[in-house]
Amino acid sequence: MIGLHKFTRAQAIAYGFLTVTVVFCLLPFLWVVLASVDPNASLFLSIPKGITADHFIKIFTAQKGARWFLNSLVTVGAATALVVIVGGMGGYALSRTNAWWKRPFLYAIILVRVVPPTALIVPLYKVMLFANGVMGALVRSIVPPDHVRSTMHIFGFVDGYFGLILVLSAMQLPLALWIIKTFFDLTPKEYEEAALMDGANVFQRIHRILVPLALPGLGAAGLLAFIGAWGDFLMPLTFISSPDLQLLPIGLFRAFQRANILDYGYLSALALLYMLPAVVAFGLARRFLVQTFTGGIKG
Amino acid sequence: MSRPYESRVAWQNRMLLVPALVLLACFILIPAGAAVYISFTNDALTGFAAAHPQFVGLKNYARLFSDDGFWNSLVVTFFFVFGSSIVGQFVLGLASAVALRQPISFRPVFNAAILLPNAVPEVVASFIWISMLAGGKYSTLSRIVGLFGIPSQNWLESVPLLMIIVVNTWRGIAFAMILMTSGLSAVPAEVYEAARMDGATPRQIFWRITLPLLQPTIFLYMLVSTAGTIAIFGLIYTLTRGGPGGATEIIGIYIYNQSFTAYQLGYGSAVAVIMLGVSVALGAIYVRVLKVQV
Repeated sequence: MIGLHKFTRAQAIAYGFLTVTVVFCLLPFLWVVLASVDPNASLFLSIPKGITADHFIKIFTAQKGARWFLNSLVTVGAATALVVIVGGMGGYALSRTNAWWKRPFLYAIILVRVVPPTALIVPLYKVMLFANGVMGALVRSIVPPDHVRSTMHIFGFVDGYFGLILVLSAMQLPLALWIIKTFFDLTPKEYEEAALMDGANVFQRIHRILVPLALPGLGAAGLLAFIGAWGDFLMPLTFISSPDLQLLPIGLFRAFQRANILDYGYLSALALLYMLPAVVAFGLARRFLVQTFTGGIKG
Repeated sequence: MSRPYESRVAWQNRMLLVPALVLLACFILIPAGAAVYISFTNDALTGFAAAHPQFVGLKNYARLFSDDGFWNSLVVTFFFVFGSSIVGQFVLGLASAVALRQPISFRPVFNAAILLPNAVPEVVASFIWISMLAGGKYSTLSRIVGLFGIPSQNWLESVPLLMIIVVNTWRGIAFAMILMTSGLSAVPAEVYEAARMDGATPRQIFWRITLPLLQPTIFLYMLVSTAGTIAIFGLIYTLTRGGPGGATEIIGIYIYNQSFTAYQLGYGSAVAVIMLGVSVALGAIYVRVLKVQV
């Protein structure tokens, strides 16, 4: 008997409220989606008169979009890998140890998590400048002079990827340590001890026992580190200046600042490309989100 | 297990923590300490003071008290946090969580739609909101409110603070909703049943049962959300850069502008130390009051 279903008052209110909320949440996306396929896209919402894939093609052929995307993928990917490895080692140690420093260390992690990056940006800049000087001297002593600049783009701390990767990792590390520690708390020690009795060495125990057991934890930590670093704006804004090294968020931001030569269709396509990995990772990480937001209190 | 084995394990655990400790020390702890040190100097980004920073004692802090820009940023930060995280996100998030507990269809669709703004990077969020807000009568918001007879305007210039509150509310409903959902699911169903048996109306149930039982979750939300909202940078920087005329200059933006636009690293660091203090105090309350299990 379709259509004769009787709603309770509470249900009706729920539907009404949720519909309004969902419209509020989705409305801003309408423009970016339409503009990305509209041959005559403008800053304002309008129904496209035709549909084109040119804007997306342009990302990979004509403009710098693909380069920015690749830069982001490399730095954020490396930072995520580093967080998973370093966080995996540290999280394991934090879970297994009973030393006196365990509690202070864990409390410190919570406090470190609430430190706003903007409050650290000036001294961080100084630290990076110093490290860049050291690295520069090192590179100059090894590499022939005409390769110094390009080498510093990879290993430098200011306007170089190595420093950026380390900073992005450090910012995501506290949460990763917490999540991985919580996961190891739930994995029984007995497996390890059994493997130890059977004569497995450290690397075998890590490879055969620990990594497979901790995979969900490492995965969750990795996803959340990726989301955090992928969306980060402050660090690439402060530490990367060469156009060729630019990451996607800064490239996108600078492009829509130059009001006179705006190509909204192209920028919309680029924005969609930029948000895609974040949305996918967010979808995969959804069931871990309560933990993220609360710093593990429900862990 | 023998004694040497245990000491070897203890040694191994310490070694495993070293890389994490080095990263945190170099890029978070040492900079936090350096912020305190720099705040006592007249350090600058360029010029004579950049090469020869002088120790100036509490001068930067004394300057804070008479600096309108600093007080302005505190007021703006307060309204921004209060409007978006304490009121906007909380009310809409709690209402969404309660509504999604009703027996309704399309629940995953509603859920996903509310989560989406939280999943997109800050730059994308501000990019799409510029289309909503900028451009006078052509902006989406102007066209919508025009239907109700409200005159069109450049929203980021006429009511900038309200607009960044709206944008941040939009972005954070999901956070409040997720937390409140987990809080609601911890309330046993019998409690509601008993109340209904006793003839309580839905309104009474909400005010007398749901809300009081949610109190710990709400407190947790307020703390985490306040700390997170104070730390916001990219969203506002890309929308307004703190303008027009400082109207949206929350404290993080103020630090950035003082340090990298006005080149006053020493003074910017003094503001940063105040911000660090507030955030760490929030974190300490969180640890103490909620008795985090470690």
